[in-house]
Amino acid sequence: MTLTAPGRDRDRGRAPGGRPPSRYPSGRRLLLSTDHKRIGLLVLGTSLALLFLLGVLALLMRAQLARPESGFLDSAVYNQFFTIHGSGMIYLVMTPFAIGLGVYLVPLQVGAPNIALPRTTLLGYWLYATGAVIMLAGFATPHGAHAAGWFSYPPLADGRYSPGPGSDMWVAGVFLSTAGVILMGWAVLWTALRKRAEGMTMLRMPLFSWSMVATCLMVIGAFPALLAALVLLGIGRADPSVFDSNLWIIGYQHLFWFYGHPVVYVMFFPYLAAVGEVLATFARRPFFGFRLTVLSLLVFAGLSMSVWGHHMFTTGQATNDYYSLTSIALLVPAGIEYFAMLGTILGGALVFRPPMLFALAFIPQFLIGGLTGIMVGTPVIDYQAHDSYFVVAHLHYVLFAGSAFGLFAAFYFWFPKVTGAMLDDRLSHVHFWLLVAGTNLTFLPMFFLGLQGMSRRIVSYAEFDGFGTLNLLASIGAGLLAVAMLVFVYNVWTSLRWPRPAGDDPWQGQTLEWATSSPPPRLNYTPEHPLPPITSYAPLYDLRRTEDGRAH
Amino acid sequence: MHRRSVFDQVFAVETAIALAVFVIVLGLLVFAVVRRRARAGLFVSRRREWKPVELCYAGALAAVAAGLVIYTALANREQGRENDRPVDLRVEVSAFQWCWEFAHPDPAGGPEDEPVTARATCRGDDLPTLVVPTGRNIRLELDSRDVIHSFWVPELRYKLDAFPGHRNEFTVRFDREGRWIGHCAEFCGHRHHTMDFWVRAVSPEEYDAWLLDAQTGQDIPAETA
Ligand SMILES: [Cu+2]
Repeated sequence: MTLTAPGRDRDRGRAPGGRPPSRYPSGRRLLLSTDHKRIGLLVLGTSLALLFLLGVLALLMRAQLARPESGFLDSAVYNQFFTIHGSGMIYLVMTPFAIGLGVYLVPLQVGAPNIALPRTTLLGYWLYATGAVIMLAGFATPHGAHAAGWFSYPPLADGRYSPGPGSDMWVAGVFLSTAGVILMGWAVLWTALRKRAEGMTMLRMPLFSWSMVATCLMVIGAFPALLAALVLLGIGRADPSVFDSNLWIIGYQHLFWFYGHPVVYVMFFPYLAAVGEVLATFARRPFFGFRLTVLSLLVFAGLSMSVWGHHMFTTGQATNDYYSLTSIALLVPAGIEYFAMLGTILGGALVFRPPMLFALAFIPQFLIGGLTGIMVGTPVIDYQAHDSYFVVAHLHYVLFAGSAFGLFAAFYFWFPKVTGAMLDDRLSHVHFWLLVAGTNLTFLPMFFLGLQGMSRRIVSYAEFDGFGTLNLLASIGAGLLAVAMLVFVYNVWTSLRWPRPAGDDPWQGQTLEWATSSPPPRLNYTPEHPLPPITSYAPLYDLRRTEDGRAH
Repeated sequence: MHRRSVFDQVFAVETAIALAVFVIVLGLLVFAVVRRRARAGLFVSRRREWKPVELCYAGALAAVAAGLVIYTALANREQGRENDRPVDLRVEVSAFQWCWEFAHPDPAGGPEDEPVTARATCRGDDLPTLVVPTGRNIRLELDSRDVIHSFWVPELRYKLDAFPGHRNEFTVRFDREGRWIGHCAEFCGHRHHTMDFWVRAVSPEEYDAWLLDAQTGQDIPAETA
């Protein structure tokens, strides 16, 4: 591994050996390539496949909860499902997908021919994929998969109360995949810091790349705490007497949440920034409030490592005032980001292409997650909301109604760049509207269920609890989500099978990646597709404006 | 039920703020979608920042955050004041996989008496009942025999975790008679979902009579409670 100076990188921007880059790489070359685009595709493809798999688990759980005292799923099975759904979506889908976007896009956006540390990145992917396989293989063991929730508090998750290899495999799987994500995080951060092309100053990096800097800082700063928590849990699985002491029981919670809150922003920033890029592109103007937004991301990242105790108000062992203060302080950077997003569209000329629809829906939907986040960060409210369906609703508004909509905005936006093919607009619209309806029908009722007293992680509830109607609504919503995702798959499949060529820049993009071919060549920029002058964080926008100026 | 009234107030305030913010954002969004279409051929802003406005806005946000922090911290303190009241009687709440026991350690007869303990199986309708007198300050002492559980009575708007090897306590006073459901809120394994209980608040006289009855009958099944 050598670091090359930006100037030399540009001279090497030719496919080696003169062989034209293949559009659809063969299996072996895809799996072992050190091209950041191929590694990125592996990460994105793997996590997207897992999104479907783990979504099916959620669908089965919603089927079970549709009616009171239902016997569709047994408690033992249900507990495995919610554990693997939750931990899978967080450790194996939303986090790796966010980093995978960085692996694919950051080198392109900063004008580098490849990622820094390409072999480390590839190793990171393989650790992640191996961890995913190990975690899921737990289902094949006699006791089944792990069943103690995504935060797996001891003593419940220790060797005494969760015996069985499925749980050991869960610990090992989470450890490996998180280690892999940390390696990829280092590579993406290093690329943004050290591999920028000539003229690409820090403040000329696009919003998405900046969000990856903040994200990777959190990955590097906070994820090792999860590894430490998992080591502690692993020791407790070998010798459960460790957790005879309250010190280690509560110590685990501190370690875990030191990771557990920053990870929420790791699963948020890249999607937020993708939304920002989409809003600017389809508002036909540069992103408004760029510098303050970048600053707010960095402040956010710093604060994120100081709020962990707000997950522990009901333990009776956390300093409420302090954690409440830092949690509520988060509304400042979040408010700045909303100001910038709204400012961008209010002064723009909006074009409603599919990525834009998802980006626009992100704004109010994520806001519901954010506002209820302030509520659960308030101890007085958290005493009621904690571990109830209110929290389930809140976190799904953040992660699904928010981040997953950002994920789809990013998917629809960069799909033509990555594949060279356009998706079908009509099917995209169907997907979008079904997804909006399904999301809100599924998760909105859960706020009320939580306030009415429904605990999270219960396999069934009694008739007299009165949770039946709202749960039925939520389950119908989940059915809509399933249909929406089928439409999405069909759209992707037909668009790849019978591709409509996208061209280099189908959206009038503003950042460097839209200047190269679709898909980009091996070293990203070639003499036929040279780097344009890097004049700001929206260089292609600037270029179009100077060209317009000359034409008039 | 002091906690409940504090919760109701803070929840109303934060819901109102949240709704206002949501309506404003949604209004701006709808305005942009309707009025800022590219087809309309409007002037498109090229502005990349507007520093004075952004900084003023950030300052305003910080002021709101500070106000909210102070308000909620005071509310939290106010809620906690219930814990400082002189305790009239204690109840030991033991959580375990997968049910609860409620032990009343000092019944009327004096310390030499056995505690009166409410037990059940948490299977079907066989739920344990925590019987308490109204108008008295009751100290609930939470403990677990195995994993972490959480004592939640939604009607009280309050929950507190029950840890193994660590005692959590809180004081509560019931203002009115009634019977409410309680749940285990912290996932605790296979039958977590059946770990429910009843809280029954009765008049002090009724409570004393119940305790006396229970003492002669030793352990009490749920139905008599
Ligand atoms: Cu429990």
